[in-house]
Amino acid sequence: MTLPAEYSLAGQTAIVASSGGDETPQLAAALAEAGASVFCLARHADALDAIRASVSAVTGGETHGYAGRWDTPESAAAVIDAFTATHDRVDILVNDTRSFFAKPAAEISLHEWDELHARNVRATFMLSQAVGQRMLGQQYGRIVNVISNLAERAVINCSAYSATQAAVLSLTRSFAVEWGRSEIRVNAVGSGWSTAEDIPLETQREELLVRYTPMRRKGHPRDLAAMLVYLCSPHCDYPSGQPVYIDGGANAHP
Amino acid sequence: MLENLYLDGKVVVITGGGTGLGLEMVRALTRSGANLAIAGRRTGPIEAARDEVLAAGQDAIAVPTDVSKSSDADALVQATLDHFGRVDVLINNAAMVADNVLKPIWEITDDDWETAMSVNLNGAFYCARAAAKPMADAGKGKIINVASGFGLRGGRDIYMYCTSKGGVIQLTRVLSFSLARYGITANSIVPGFIPTIDPGAEINRTLPQSGDFLPTGKLGKPEDLGPIAVFLASDASDYMTGEMFILDGAGLASGIAPTGHAPVAALEP
Repeated sequence: MTLPAEYSLAGQTAIVASSGGDETPQLAAALAEAGASVFCLARHADALDAIRASVSAVTGGETHGYAGRWDTPESAAAVIDAFTATHDRVDILVNDTRSFFAKPAAEISLHEWDELHARNVRATFMLSQAVGQRMLGQQYGRIVNVISNLAERAVINCSAYSATQAAVLSLTRSFAVEWGRSEIRVNAVGSGWSTAEDIPLETQREELLVRYTPMRRKGHPRDLAAMLVYLCSPHCDYPSGQPVYIDGGANAHP
Repeated sequence: MLENLYLDGKVVVITGGGTGLGLEMVRALTRSGANLAIAGRRTGPIEAARDEVLAAGQDAIAVPTDVSKSSDADALVQATLDHFGRVDVLINNAAMVADNVLKPIWEITDDDWETAMSVNLNGAFYCARAAAKPMADAGKGKIINVASGFGLRGGRDIYMYCTSKGGVIQLTRVLSFSLARYGITANSIVPGFIPTIDPGAEINRTLPQSGDFLPTGKLGKPEDLGPIAVFLASDASDYMTGEMFILDGAGLASGIAPTGHAPVAALEP
């Protein structure tokens, strides 16, 4: 059988930006597997290399990218310059906004608060603004923000991180509403407790968190892959402004 | 990572499968390799849908079913087990739309209320109850409930539809948490405005005729549900449970102000 047409990204070009975490490489590879040409962004060269290698393992070719920050108008413009050196049109923007941080609220410093928001929220806004201008010009685009279900719920020591996730969810709604008439769709896919490592179930279940999750295992980027691809596809026309949580049932749990 | 989208041979029971959104889901599921038990009150549409699936090379049965009767729901699942030997996926799609005419609350009869609730909410419960046991025995299964944006927001004079669809979303959450230990997932598809019913039906006078009021500027099409039904029926959605997939032209993301309302205000000093 062939892949359902609604899940094909053949001929599409995607920018995949990672604020942090170890799950972006497999998400970027899923877009490549669906046929997209992927341009990768990460804050550090080693993280960028991991994403590029994961994409190239699918395509067998070279994967372009950019290491640096994109949380100011100038740096976001530099990203666009780097992108246009090797690509023309951008159809898809994926922001993996999950640079994680956990610390008692009473002890979080101004620097930690600002840095986390710069990575997860300000960078997402600046890049969406820069890429969005191109999408508005071409009257087409798909933006998907990868968030955590902490956008919806609180956990001890996660105040700053949860605030960034809720902020990105809010941006998802706002961009969807503001750019809807320009054939730009903006959605979010939400993870729960997850890891990119393949950890045996028995080992996972030694953790209280895993036993608390209704599906009794951690999520893995492959759990998000197909939904991410669909939300990036031209066929995803009516859905916009919404999160889709794939979190083992944690979000419906009392 | 995408090969688990294929439904090769999965057995999908779908209620309200002969027309509208249900028929488009049947078509998408068939293209992805599912076999189908198609239920509906009227035999004509479900037999036509069955013939379409058979012509496409997949197996299908048509089972006349009134989901508001629990004996019919039980018989639907039994007919599926008799023919296919298992039930992998249940899609609770049957609902009353056209008959659920808007009235001021003081004109709604007990019968109006009970009839709509019995199809939209009781029907989903009866079918889930009937399918859950064979799924649990198999250690795997998927329940997909078609709800509505009206299950999350209030519509003027739309008492039964809003209440029953809100109930369907809650049913989904309880099913997900209760059945996770048996390998069964439950999720809702939450459509916004997607014209499917007879253009002359009375309810159309109160539903939008265009997407002008939606942020995306267009209404949905029944085909928009196809790829979502395939995803939720497939192994690709194994870690998703208790959740909603909302497709509504960004209607639920907005709605605080009229479409197009665009205030501009400078930063205060």
